[in-house]
Amino acid sequence: MNLHKLGIIIGREYLNKVKKKSFLIITFVAPVVFAALCILPSLIMMGAKEETKKVAVVDASGLVLPTLENTDVVAYYDFTGRDVDSLKTALDAVGMDVVLDISPLDSVQRTVTAHTYSAKPLGMETSQIIENRINDAIETYRIESYKIKDLDKIMSEVKSNIHLVSYTVDDSGKESISESSVYMVISMLLGMALYMFIALFCGMVMSSVIEEKSSRVVEVLVSSVKATELMFGKIIGVALVALTQFLLWILLTGAILAVAAGIVGKDKIAALTGGGNPTEMVQQMAPGVNVPGMDVADLGTLLPAADTTAVAADSTAVAEPTGMEAIFSTLGNLDYGTILLAFLLYFIFGYLLYASMFAAIGSAVENEADTQQLQIPVTIPLLLGFFIAIYAFKAPESQIVFWGSMIPFTSPIVMLARLPFGVPTWELILSVAILIGTFALFAWMSAKIYKVGILMYGKKSTFKDLWKWLKQK
Amino acid sequence: MEPLIRCENVSKSFGEKVALDGVSLDIPEGKIFGLLGPNGAGKTTLIRIINRITIPTSGAVYFKGEPITDEVVARIGYLPEERGLYRKMKVGDQAMYLAQLKGMSAREAQEALKEWFIRFDIKDWWGKKVEELSKGMAQKLQFITTVVHKPSLMILDEPFSGFDPVNADLIRKEILRLKEEGATIILSTHNMESVEELCDEIALINKSHLVITGGVEEIRRKYGNNNVEVEYTDTEGRHSEVLPVPEGGTTNDVLTTLIGDGKVVNSFRELMPRMNDIFIKLVTEE
Repeated sequence: MNLHKLGIIIGREYLNKVKKKSFLIITFVAPVVFAALCILPSLIMMGAKEETKKVAVVDASGLVLPTLENTDVVAYYDFTGRDVDSLKTALDAVGMDVVLDISPLDSVQRTVTAHTYSAKPLGMETSQIIENRINDAIETYRIESYKIKDLDKIMSEVKSNIHLVSYTVDDSGKESISESSVYMVISMLLGMALYMFIALFCGMVMSSVIEEKSSRVVEVLVSSVKATELMFGKIIGVALVALTQFLLWILLTGAILAVAAGIVGKDKIAALTGGGNPTEMVQQMAPGVNVPGMDVADLGTLLPAADTTAVAADSTAVAEPTGMEAIFSTLGNLDYGTILLAFLLYFIFGYLLYASMFAAIGSAVENEADTQQLQIPVTIPLLLGFFIAIYAFKAPESQIVFWGSMIPFTSPIVMLARLPFGVPTWELILSVAILIGTFALFAWMSAKIYKVGILMYGKKSTFKDLWKWLKQK
Repeated sequence: MEPLIRCENVSKSFGEKVALDGVSLDIPEGKIFGLLGPNGAGKTTLIRIINRITIPTSGAVYFKGEPITDEVVARIGYLPEERGLYRKMKVGDQAMYLAQLKGMSAREAQEALKEWFIRFDIKDWWGKKVEELSKGMAQKLQFITTVVHKPSLMILDEPFSGFDPVNADLIRKEILRLKEEGATIILSTHNMESVEELCDEIALINKSHLVITGGVEEIRRKYGNNNVEVEYTDTEGRHSEVLPVPEGGTTNDVLTTLIGDGKVVNSFRELMPRMNDIFIKLVTEE
């Protein structure tokens, strides 16, 4: 390898890609999207309360109406006795938004049917509230019908609402709280990110190879440099593009969040984002977490006052960490250094492995449309890695996940998905070593195919051809 | 004199297919050497072996008696028949890139390219994108990138294709000028007129074999039918005729006979076969 020429090739590949409009757009738009994803949902939840819906209640059963209580979202008005059909068409005239029509009590089934009519569809929240109220009323009616003294009190005492608090224990007996939903989300994000980046940048390498071949510039190039120098220059150039993009994404997203924090107020952003988007995802995914009212400026410590709707106002529950605290505590306990290092290692070598294969495929075709068939055996393991990764955040200890994180074609994605759940160091080292070894082997084989492939024109190449080129001296 | 390039028994096969079969030839230094042959004869394979893009299955190529090294390859300029450029790149960047890959420093490349751009009157193209160029313009740029690093051996595969007559003439003159400056040029072309005009020696390859190699004049004479074309005037007026040279005689014998017959010779020319005819004859005979 002539390092000087390799450098020139890397330089051209890098500058050419980095100066492209599409690169600039993705680099600068994506952080805005990331930041928006961090901030917006919370802002929406906070700011955009639904307008109070005025509900005209026509309660033929007489059971529901007395139990209805007005809330911010719904205000009830008694229209019992009025004709539902005429109300439906005259909502505006009576100043109502919705008609709630409750049937007389069915004395056999001991239930009612209920319908609403409105000009605009009801929001999820509104219909949920109305439905709950009716159910409560019917339940109360049924409980009372047993004529057992204090049954309603007994029932409310019997009700249970337990949140499972999980700890991980290491050898020394140190306990750390682990919220499995956090692991799942982080694991999913890592696996997905790696899959996407490998696919994206390997695709870039392949089209770059095809471009040189189809534009016929390649024969001039290989008369000046060795084909292997050309191939590796290209692969390394695109890798640098990827790393540049990561770096810019991190910096820009950070900058945007910082600016947003300056505008909205630091505490609120901290509370809203929890310091990074994974938390935001968790907040959305973990039910029972009440974001708007929360004050979590101090992430590290447990906050007894945190308001979680799921926990009953029972004095014993306060001592246990609640859902939100568990999430932050779990986030605080993750080993970010290892995760970042592993992400970079697995991205770099996973990318190198796949990029060399994609370069070999690109060398065998004259235009992108012809890649379909040849691409299959390379994209399938990559996809498989993605699917095993999905399995990894459901069952991180399973056999298939273990093997998936060892086999080099799936290990970059699967191992990253496993990582938040904790992976023994020896497994990590072994897996990376296998990956690097496989990369070396495949880089050598791909270079042999590439060398012959780039100068082959005319006939559409098949696997048989690739195999022949591989064996050629 | 030791040839610049010596091919010794060079063979190349791709699997079952034999592209070159035991080709041996010498390319003298400072000459224009025509590499001829029908499509698919193996010319491109031979060229690729000379500039080390492809490794021969057997046999070897020597540059001044030594095996071809990286240093030698850096002194070759190659204009392939199927040539292209990066469409999205700027003309200047593209030229700089290719020149640097040939081992020139950025400064050397810049200076040399400027000179060539002025010579070819294309100064204003430097900042244009390659895709904006016409085919002829792109060909000019490709020619420049082939010769910018002052190669001692140039391999030009169909250098005139895509040029209008004016620019083809410009390239022809450049090739001759480069030869004057001492470069050796391998010219692969189907244009037999330019072979007659430019080449000192040729090699004809057909169906992966070397058919003939040698000086152009020598070959033309060898395949000539020994005829002369004469114009003469006698009592009946002016005539034009093709006359055979008698067996064992020279063209002078024809002249002597004409003069002896009392004819006035207006013009007299030995008829040399056209390279075109020799090419067709040799290729179809095989």
